[in-house]
Amino acid sequence: MKINGVAIEDTFAEAFTMRVARLLITGQTLGWAREAAVKLTGFATSVIGCQCEAGIERELPDGETPDGRPGVSVLFLTMDKASLPEQLIVRVGQTVLTCPTTACFDGLPDAPDRLPVGKALRVFGDGFQASKVIGGKRYWRIPVMEGEFLIEETFGMLKGVGGGNFLILARDADAALAAAEAAVAAMTGAPGVILPFPGGVVRSGSKVGSKRYSNMIATTNDAFDPTLKAVTQSQLPEVVNSVLEIVLDGTDGPSIEAAMRAGIRAACRPGVLTITAGNYGGKLGPHHFYLRKILG
Amino acid sequence: MSDAVTLTLATQPTHTLVADCIAADRFAGLGATAIAALPVVHGGRLATLGEFFRVRGERASVVRIEGDCTRIDGIGTGMAEGELMIDGSVGRDLGLAMSGGRIDVRGGAGANAGGAPAGAARGMTGGEIVVRGSVGDEAGARMRRGLLVVTGDGGRGMGKGMIAGTVVVFGNAGPGTGRFLKRGSIVALGEVERPATFRYACTYRPPHVALLLRYLGSRCRLDVVAAQVTGRYERYSGDLAELGKGELLRWVGA
Repeated sequence: MKINGVAIEDTFAEAFTMRVARLLITGQTLGWAREAAVKLTGFATSVIGCQCEAGIERELPDGETPDGRPGVSVLFLTMDKASLPEQLIVRVGQTVLTCPTTACFDGLPDAPDRLPVGKALRVFGDGFQASKVIGGKRYWRIPVMEGEFLIEETFGMLKGVGGGNFLILARDADAALAAAEAAVAAMTGAPGVILPFPGGVVRSGSKVGSKRYSNMIATTNDAFDPTLKAVTQSQLPEVVNSVLEIVLDGTDGPSIEAAMRAGIRAACRPGVLTITAGNYGGKLGPHHFYLRKILG
Repeated sequence: MSDAVTLTLATQPTHTLVADCIAADRFAGLGATAIAALPVVHGGRLATLGEFFRVRGERASVVRIEGDCTRIDGIGTGMAEGELMIDGSVGRDLGLAMSGGRIDVRGGAGANAGGAPAGAARGMTGGEIVVRGSVGDEAGARMRRGLLVVTGDGGRGMGKGMIAGTVVVFGNAGPGTGRFLKRGSIVALGEVERPATFRYACTYRPPHVALLLRYLGSRCRLDVVAAQVTGRYERYSGDLAELGKGELLRWVGA
């Protein structure tokens, strides 16, 4: 299978079940909402080192937010149920509560599993906090020096999908980067999906474990490192000189498939030779995204 | 089972009619005959609901009342869930000690709306009351939770002794509003006479008021002005003669 002359390998991306929450952060301006969201989702690229994966899903116009102000939707994922509230409480408390003009709302109101994020953060109010029930939902008003920080008492948690991916094998680094940027642009704003890595792109794809260091849980994916072609069991054709990966997390499989479809098509451009995907033989993750099926 | 139970006022009471049997959740388990047989007190004498209202529908937690019920007291007493819509004005004790559900009055209401029964410590403990008109004295008195919205004017002692919850008044609030408030919020969009035991805190844009007013605009279709949603409010803490954890929020413009 080829798209614009780019070979689509007959393989699949292997992804994992994670726990996901969606936060709607609003502010007096979109700029302030973004400031909070960027800080909140900072250092949240991979559960390998960050305990969570997070990213901005999309920007929200005034009409789509609970308080009628501009906002940003954020997806937040962890590997297990227990660590999601832990991460949210710490991060929201340090990044959204501290940010001028912001408020924080639940973006998964129908999820039966509820995380007591606002309930935990309320104690910052030192007894001066107050709650309000509006439309059946409880909110906490936490007094701060600026005025008040408003946060919903609980946030919904669903099973999500983490680790959707595809790799761009290119003739040179410039072509790989241009293709990755085009893919990210095509996927930005896709509902239910985030790209947790810097600019949505990963240059350091990893393999499980290490050939040399027993304490490492992940090390460089030497089979896809072009500089190691001569000294390792490389999976790269001779003409490939650079590889970049796109990692996708999301609320569900179909959302990730739709984003992968758009991203891969956009990445099929001059200088790109092959699109492939990372997997572990299908034994570790229950979600398998077959590239040719998605693009067919 | 019907989509709704409709009560149409067929015989105007000649005296005060206490109809505290009218509650949406109560009607959810009753047939039309049983609803008509519910007891009421007319001028101090026992009667039945059917002597005054024509009943249509049965076993529904959505109840509509048609007619001028100014002489009818106690509608929605103790209601815990369901929806009660009244096309016309009602008498005193609307939603007395209710704990849930929603009452929407397209008219005015008498005294003690959302309030407490005589001698009781707590008024309404949950749910929402929207009065699209003015209310009598001591509306929301001693309320513990819930929301009372008045699009017209409030009488004397509005929210008196509130323990928690929210009262919103779009018109003018009468004297003594918020007196003995322990916790809870009174949002005054018109004129309000502040008790001397309330102290000014600051002027700001309370985010929960914006959320609440937007909710009232979308859910209840109330005419909420954008400047009220995004506007500035003076915050007065009180009643400092009581617990002092309550607030009076007075809208001062955009």
